[in-house]
Amino acid sequence: MAELPLNSLLKGNTGRNTRGLLRIIILGTIAAAAVSSRLFSVIRFESIIHEFDPWFNFRATKYLVQHGFYSFWDWFDDRTWHPLGRVTGGTLYPGLMVTSGVIYHILRFLTIPVDIRNICVLLAPGFSGLTALAMYFLTCEMSTSPSAGLLAAAFMGIVPGYISRSVAGSYDNEAIAIFLLVFTFFLWIKAVKNGSIMWGALTALFYGYMVSAWGGYVFITNLIPLHVFVLLCMGRYSSRIYISYTTWYALGTLASMQIPFVGFLPIRNSDHMAALGVFGLLQLVAFADFVRGFIPGKHFQRLLTTMIIVVFGVAFVGLVVLTVSGVIAPWSGRFYSLWDTGYAKIHIPIIASVSEHQPTAWPAFFFDLNFLIWLFPAGVYMCFRDLKDEHVFVIIYSVLASYFAGVMVRLMLTLTPIVCVAAALALSTILDTYVLASPGPNPKAKAVEDTSSEPLRSARKPDVGVTSYLSKLVVTSSAIIYLLLFVAHCTWVTSNAYSSPSVVLASRMPDGSQHIIDDYREAYYWLRQNTPHNAKVMSWWDYGYQIGGMADRPTLVDNNTWNNTHIATVGKAMSSREEVSYPILRQHDVDYVLVVFGGLLGYSGDDINKFLWMVRIAEGIWPDEVKERDFFTARGEYRVDDQATPTMRNSLMYKMSYYNYHTMFQGGQAVDRVRGAKLPAEGPQLSTLEEAFTSENWIIRIYKVKDLDNLNRDHSNAVAFDRGHKRKRATKKKGPRVLRTE
Amino acid sequence: MRWCLSFFLFGFLAVVNALSSSGNRLLVVLEDASEKGLYSTLWSDLKARGYDIAFESPKSDQLSLFELGERAYDHLLLLPPKSKGFGPSLSPKNIVDFLNKDGNVLLALSGKSTTPSAISSLLLELDLHLSTDRSSIVVDHFNYDTLSAAEKHDVLLLQRPGQLRPDTKSYFDGEGVLALPRAAPHTLGDNILAAPILRAPVTAYSYNPKEEAAAVEDIWATGSQLSLISTLQTRSSSRFTLLGSVESLQDKWFTATVKAPGSGEETKTVNQEFAKQLTAWTFKETGVLKVGKIEHHLAQDDLTAEDLNPTIYRVKNETVFSIEISEYSYDKFVPFELPAEDALQLEFTMLSPFHRLKLDPAYRTENSTVFRTQFTVPDQHGIFSFRVNYKRPFLTTIEEKHEVTVRHFAHNEFPRSWEISGGWVWIAGLWSVIGGFMAFVAVWLYSEPASAKVKKNQ
Repeated sequence: MAELPLNSLLKGNTGRNTRGLLRIIILGTIAAAAVSSRLFSVIRFESIIHEFDPWFNFRATKYLVQHGFYSFWDWFDDRTWHPLGRVTGGTLYPGLMVTSGVIYHILRFLTIPVDIRNICVLLAPGFSGLTALAMYFLTCEMSTSPSAGLLAAAFMGIVPGYISRSVAGSYDNEAIAIFLLVFTFFLWIKAVKNGSIMWGALTALFYGYMVSAWGGYVFITNLIPLHVFVLLCMGRYSSRIYISYTTWYALGTLASMQIPFVGFLPIRNSDHMAALGVFGLLQLVAFADFVRGFIPGKHFQRLLTTMIIVVFGVAFVGLVVLTVSGVIAPWSGRFYSLWDTGYAKIHIPIIASVSEHQPTAWPAFFFDLNFLIWLFPAGVYMCFRDLKDEHVFVIIYSVLASYFAGVMVRLMLTLTPIVCVAAALALSTILDTYVLASPGPNPKAKAVEDTSSEPLRSARKPDVGVTSYLSKLVVTSSAIIYLLLFVAHCTWVTSNAYSSPSVVLASRMPDGSQHIIDDYREAYYWLRQNTPHNAKVMSWWDYGYQIGGMADRPTLVDNNTWNNTHIATVGKAMSSREEVSYPILRQHDVDYVLVVFGGLLGYSGDDINKFLWMVRIAEGIWPDEVKERDFFTARGEYRVDDQATPTMRNSLMYKMSYYNYHTMFQGGQAVDRVRGAKLPAEGPQLSTLEEAFTSENWIIRIYKVKDLDNLNRDHSNAVAFDRGHKRKRATKKKGPRVLRTE
Repeated sequence: MRWCLSFFLFGFLAVVNALSSSGNRLLVVLEDASEKGLYSTLWSDLKARGYDIAFESPKSDQLSLFELGERAYDHLLLLPPKSKGFGPSLSPKNIVDFLNKDGNVLLALSGKSTTPSAISSLLLELDLHLSTDRSSIVVDHFNYDTLSAAEKHDVLLLQRPGQLRPDTKSYFDGEGVLALPRAAPHTLGDNILAAPILRAPVTAYSYNPKEEAAAVEDIWATGSQLSLISTLQTRSSSRFTLLGSVESLQDKWFTATVKAPGSGEETKTVNQEFAKQLTAWTFKETGVLKVGKIEHHLAQDDLTAEDLNPTIYRVKNETVFSIEISEYSYDKFVPFELPAEDALQLEFTMLSPFHRLKLDPAYRTENSTVFRTQFTVPDQHGIFSFRVNYKRPFLTTIEEKHEVTVRHFAHNEFPRSWEISGGWVWIAGLWSVIGGFMAFVAVWLYSEPASAKVKKNQ
């Protein structure tokens, strides 16, 4: 056989180099695919920041770039949470902003003038390329097969579960946090494998970066100790674990405490106690291991038992005492809601009201992960087969993340990486088995030679098994078809579900052309250009960040939701009668009130549909004044038509939503297209507010709060007078006249 | 040369305008042009004080309070109409609009004729109430003029009013006797913006001369519940004055001689002087406050221009706030004097006041007083405002609100390391560990292992 030039490239030292080069090229292509599949939104719409939280991150980044790092660190934001303000520098995770700020300054240093907005928009796609790379490294640690890493990287690059949080414009903490999560885990596995201080320190370093970037760092804080704990329980204590864990814990905790928002939480919050406990346990185990060398076995057993009982007793009592005395904070509400899905709904409506905190619907798993979800258990099984330390990690991670993803929609994001790892392990095993398994040295001839001594049926009929070309063809081609379907699915999901900025809505005209509904920006720019720079805008908290970012006006509440009472105050103002709301508006210096109304367009995410949450949150603080029951009819229906309850019809939110709405339907009956309700012919009357602006499709309505009446009349009387109604002479009061003393 | 002339003209205008602090265009609405002569002294007094008087009949077509959406006049003097009302251009709504646009109104009523219902409904908006029949007059059998109303007792003789409350200034006091012939009474509602200038004596009552059978059962108000002259100052400080007796402005009563029952002494009325006080106050020649400079800054000695009125303070800063107030008195601004019983207060507010402090007069300039106070910013960050909210009857409103941000301590403003005595333990621990480690390293390095020696020996 003549040596093909290709063969020389694939064998020996040259072969290794060629494969290395190929691997680099493949990884580069994967990164490029990861970036480009996230650009749908930029191509469809424009380079715009998406949704809600990204608007705050964008605003904070602009502040950082403009004022420098130290004033960002000490930033007191007087344009949110009026009049309380927010110690923003100390209550955010600065990793994201600092990352973009550094990129911005590097580019400026290289004399590439790029607008900070474009950096922010493209940060998430850029980091998703890095995530694919980190995924490659992580998976390579798990498997000896070279294809597993590449497959995992490819999966991670385009899997919708991750794309949902990292399309261009989705400038949120998760944009860089998932990369950091995967990379920290890679470093941790590396550290456990090698037992090296360097890798442990690197883990701590990236853990510190992760802490600065996302509140989800708690996942790492608990997963790594759990990994170590399980290893200890399996009797796998080794100096490698001791070195890597203690290095990581000491340095990582110090690093995390440098973030003001985290501060002393690592030693005071229950969420972090597991890491501390395992740290202590590890010391004890190490000590026991050390002592074992000096004491005979029987004594050692007795000593060990006593020590364990004493230490655990002391630690438990200490923990209880510290928790009761308040030194260690009890578990946070969000943590409870992870275990009991009904907890938030009862105790913390503000958390339950966020759609991404809802339990996951089952189809979402397939939607976000496609065929990876059924490869996932197979991959976990693979890990059980050769149960090394790192495989234990994959198993623990899989179990925990699966549970969390089932509890909360947004935690699908933490599940995705491990699904990619497991699925890649499974698929690579399948492919390696079928593609690489060689038929053996002429099995047929062998079979003829010695038939009687072959006990196995597969060996007797070697063409039928794994090694046959037919089975190879069937398995590889079906794997390829699945992979192609996966790519098609990912592209479809990305383009249809996850690429809408939600600031700009797109709809289809009857002829199929795209129609852009730009009411949000229209209204925010109206605010920006027509109101004083200091005009306070009250809206439900969902829109706070957008108003701050796009309209640049102070808001009362925003998506930060740190002060439940303040949000409840806004909820009370929205759900009460005008006479009750007006003093609240005056006290908080509100100049404009903004509501979102989808009735004309059939836009279902409007304020009337969110209204019950406002009522519930307000009821949590003022149970005597706001009652959810009053907003339902006697038959328990939530209605807005002429059957609506008086409380509903007199609430400020209802009035603002439907004020003048009937004038849109010349003569005909007004219809709310979201709730399919016919509205009463007589629209609601407003006396303390006046309509200032209504956007093109009526999605945003802005009202100006009237000043006190110049003649000190009631607003309702003043409005009646302006309309020409003569006031009736004050009816004679019973009882003696009240004398004015002056 | 040209700008010299314009300067001259400007100065001239300033002199002319100096009389009222809010313009000199006065519209007098009177129905009967022949009645104009009855008030000639009043007109000439007003003209002498610089008013540019326009007379219009309410029926006139050109009569309009507004021109292109702006006020066409600064002040409005309404004499009681004979017919059913003032007509369409002086509807209650127009007059309320005129008030809302900072015009001042003096409305005079007369007990001689029935007050039109349009005026009654206007007054109702201001929370001033006329009697139900709208044609009553005030009668007092103890304080009447024996010369002109010996029979009917409907010309009231009263002292000029003094201070309304201990914390208000008096703009209508003085010696002498006022004569108020045939005054239409009214009462005040609960509106805090309304204040009486002159109340009827305790012995007075309201009486409808047209109804013979006096409705004794249905007493509407008596004695000092009845008000003869009242005012309402809107939130934007435009002024509305209701005068019960238009006749008291007539020439005849400016110079009349009156005699109270019992005293036997004939005196001249001071109506002319009082009419001056009343019109001067209504048309904003008196009782007008002006806020000059408002300054707040950190309490430190060397202040530069940048240190004044900062937008941001830190918690626990020592802060100085000062406000300059002058009062307009007929033709010039004079330093504002607080009434003896009163105090000007500063509030430092976020949702509710964290501080409410007395502002003390610090020094006086030629035409203003500077009030000042010093305080420590509370230990609470947020968006605070300096508020001065001074609302008194007869004085224009001072409602100042200046927002400042109060921030938290920055990361480098806390005491550090050695300055915290509680931290000495930790610092000692730190250095002892470092020292111990160094000592250990030194001992380790310079102590040869014994076993090595043994090996060497072997």
